[in-house]
Amino acid sequence: MGYKLLEGIRILDLTMVFAGPIGSRILASLGAEVIKIESAMRCDVYTRANVYPENEPGEEHWNRGCFFHSLNAGKYGISLNLGSEEGKEIFRRLVKISDVVIENFSPRVMENWSLGYKDLKKIREDIIMVSLSGLGHYGPLRDFYMYVPGMEGMSGLMHMTGYPEEPPLLSGYAYGDWVLGTTGAAAMLVAIYHRQRTGKGQYIDVAGREAVISHIGEIVMDYTLNGREQTRLGNRHSSSAPHGCYRCKGHDQWVNIAVENDEQWERFCQALGYPSWTKEKRFAEASSRWRNQDELDRFIEEWTSQRDHYEVMEILQKAGVPAGAVLNMKEIHLDPQFVNRGFFEIIDHGEGVGKRPILQQIPAKFTGVEKFVPRRAPRFGQDNEYVFGTLLGMSKDDLKRLEQEKVVGGIPVFPPGRRTRADLIEKQGAGWFDPDYLVEIRKKHGDDIGKG
Amino acid sequence: MGKKAFSDLKVLDCTQGVAGPYCTKWMADFGAEVIKVERPTEGDIARRMGPFLKDEPHPEKSGTFFYLNTNKKSITLNLESETGVKIFKELVRKVDVLVEDFEPGKLSDLGLSHETLKKLNPRLVMNSITDFGQTGPYRHYEATNLTLSGLGGAMYASRPANKPTDRPVVEGGLQAEYVTGLLSFIATVAALVNQVRSDQGVRIDMSAIECVASTLGGHVAEYPYMGLSRRTSPWAIHGYPIGYSAPCKDGWISLTPGIGGAPNIPFLIGQPELQDDPLFAKPAARMAEPEKFDALILPWLQERGKWEVTKEAQELRLAFTPVLAPGELLEDEQLKAREIFVEADHPAMGKVRYPGAPAKLSETSWQKGRAPLLGEHNGEVYGQLGYTEEGLVRLKEEGVI
Repeated sequence: MGYKLLEGIRILDLTMVFAGPIGSRILASLGAEVIKIESAMRCDVYTRANVYPENEPGEEHWNRGCFFHSLNAGKYGISLNLGSEEGKEIFRRLVKISDVVIENFSPRVMENWSLGYKDLKKIREDIIMVSLSGLGHYGPLRDFYMYVPGMEGMSGLMHMTGYPEEPPLLSGYAYGDWVLGTTGAAAMLVAIYHRQRTGKGQYIDVAGREAVISHIGEIVMDYTLNGREQTRLGNRHSSSAPHGCYRCKGHDQWVNIAVENDEQWERFCQALGYPSWTKEKRFAEASSRWRNQDELDRFIEEWTSQRDHYEVMEILQKAGVPAGAVLNMKEIHLDPQFVNRGFFEIIDHGEGVGKRPILQQIPAKFTGVEKFVPRRAPRFGQDNEYVFGTLLGMSKDDLKRLEQEKVVGGIPVFPPGRRTRADLIEKQGAGWFDPDYLVEIRKKHGDDIGKG
Repeated sequence: MGKKAFSDLKVLDCTQGVAGPYCTKWMADFGAEVIKVERPTEGDIARRMGPFLKDEPHPEKSGTFFYLNTNKKSITLNLESETGVKIFKELVRKVDVLVEDFEPGKLSDLGLSHETLKKLNPRLVMNSITDFGQTGPYRHYEATNLTLSGLGGAMYASRPANKPTDRPVVEGGLQAEYVTGLLSFIATVAALVNQVRSDQGVRIDMSAIECVASTLGGHVAEYPYMGLSRRTSPWAIHGYPIGYSAPCKDGWISLTPGIGGAPNIPFLIGQPELQDDPLFAKPAARMAEPEKFDALILPWLQERGKWEVTKEAQELRLAFTPVLAPGELLEDEQLKAREIFVEADHPAMGKVRYPGAPAKLSETSWQKGRAPLLGEHNGEVYGQLGYTEEGLVRLKEEGVI
């Protein structure tokens, strides 16, 4: 759901892939007008061209990818070639009527185009410019080539993720990008609020790696306070037990259980009906449970592996013990709590795709403000008429000429659409496929899912 | 630098632990007056969470509490008492924002429902941050960072690319909590932008499991589009170069050739004759036979340090990066140049170093500072409400503050 909290704020969005689009979608959901700028030579290839409905790239596959739909819902989309002089001039005209510019090029690109903060400020004194990058826009390492593994790896987070005797582990869903984009959105809002009070714009430099460091502050402080280098603990806790992820009945089904104190331990034992091992002395106190958790975990897993993970969660929650099923991507769409609160937005993504649920990028429920249903992610160049015509006052003839000169419009330069290699994924176990996914989704999200 | 962004803003903060305090930390560090309400005697639960200075458990020596509560004021207030509720209402009248993380229904039971508070202060922005949200069948369930990470779907998709059916692993630290805090901050500031324009308050209902699920991005949509439920990273699935960790002489290095960068690996390892080998030219070939790839590169890495490898690889446009331990960050030249770590004096902890601004803003001052002692600002805050010193002594005797 969208909320009209930031109505009238216009954001020019030059970002691509994950981090930037996550940040700008948050702003779009909060009511800002986000204009995503791509060009025929340079568009959001990775997210546009991946994972199509029913695994069929189809016609104009660049408009059919699920990543793009999810990351860019609620935004307007135009095609404008910033490599051309006239393209830059049109961009400057847009800056004049906008509040924020957000970009995630390598450091220097915007300056080389004479579109750095100093240039933009000359066009519009109170502009807010947000630059997202891996290591920041100044400093000796600013030109490093890096992606999510650099943000998670150079921040200390990867060092803390995984098992002590195994390699540091990368998140499976580009978490570092999420932190970078969302921190960018947060900083942008600070600047918008500041400008509302003072009339002043500013430049914001967000480094993904530093944003991730902000999320492990207490771990860094064990080093600054005590000189202790913490390390990864798998799913374990530094002092309490049991605390882990346990196998359940069925293939690849898991439940998390986190007993925080002796009171919860007592309730845990009661919920299990006091099997003999729960009475063993070595499990009686938090510290001895922690020391003996290898054995403890084996006993617990014997119990959980005979039960469904939802069943384990319910038994333990009834007893007031923190436990939660580990939900896969199917279950999360069907889970009663997520469905009840409408976490997934049902958006019609257009011909051949139809209505499909996508997640909310900012799952906040506001009351006391007008709501709106976000528009689908833009087709390539979809809003050229609105932006160039309505906002900038260009005539149809102007636009035609610009199209001929390849400043706007055109057909994106794209590799051919490829199906996802389902066979390879299944063979390697990197994921699994549910042939009945449309039937399952329709049960909870409406019979018209997947119908364009 | 100019003014602080939130220098006129007053925030009443009834949160504890990690998520809520991280939300209000952003406000306090950017200049808001954040009045943190703690229970008398025990205070915020984070005061009992390590790491403690010199490993000595003490409510004023927790690193976790320090980090999450910089620049805030602390008052103690017992909301289970009638006088406490009355004082709370007086405070609500004077603030722009209330952030709270009580169990759903708890504030209403105390006579402090949103309807009541809205009458006292129609422009109040009230953000309620809970594990599952104010509504829904799980709203009274118990949760921790671990269980939230599993229910939010993040854990299922976090497993080693080469062992995708192994046990799911939780992200290090307390990411479910931080994620919730950061999104709560964003929602609150959006409501404040609206408050300045419209003079209207709003109520916000945040759910931590939803916040965790929102980090999944487009990955979760693979299910409704083609029935895929992933167990590991997108790189492994879509045939892009993967970012796995490989051992080198002094630790680990993250091998991400980057799109199109892999053909340079033979030059890095001194075997240019391999440049046309499909292992380097084609991601799919590399993924099909990772052991073959490893056999070529691991021995070379074993003899070199992570920074040495990184710098050589970067020259060849390979996005190899070192895996750093938290302590190594303090010595990092880039972080030093950007002055990421800051220092503040604390009465019980002395000089404390901690990670500073999460983003660099050119016009808005981000401020370093310390966490408050429990009830440190009772005199100041209650004084402003008109309570005399004797009055405060009486409230203390009655167990209200």
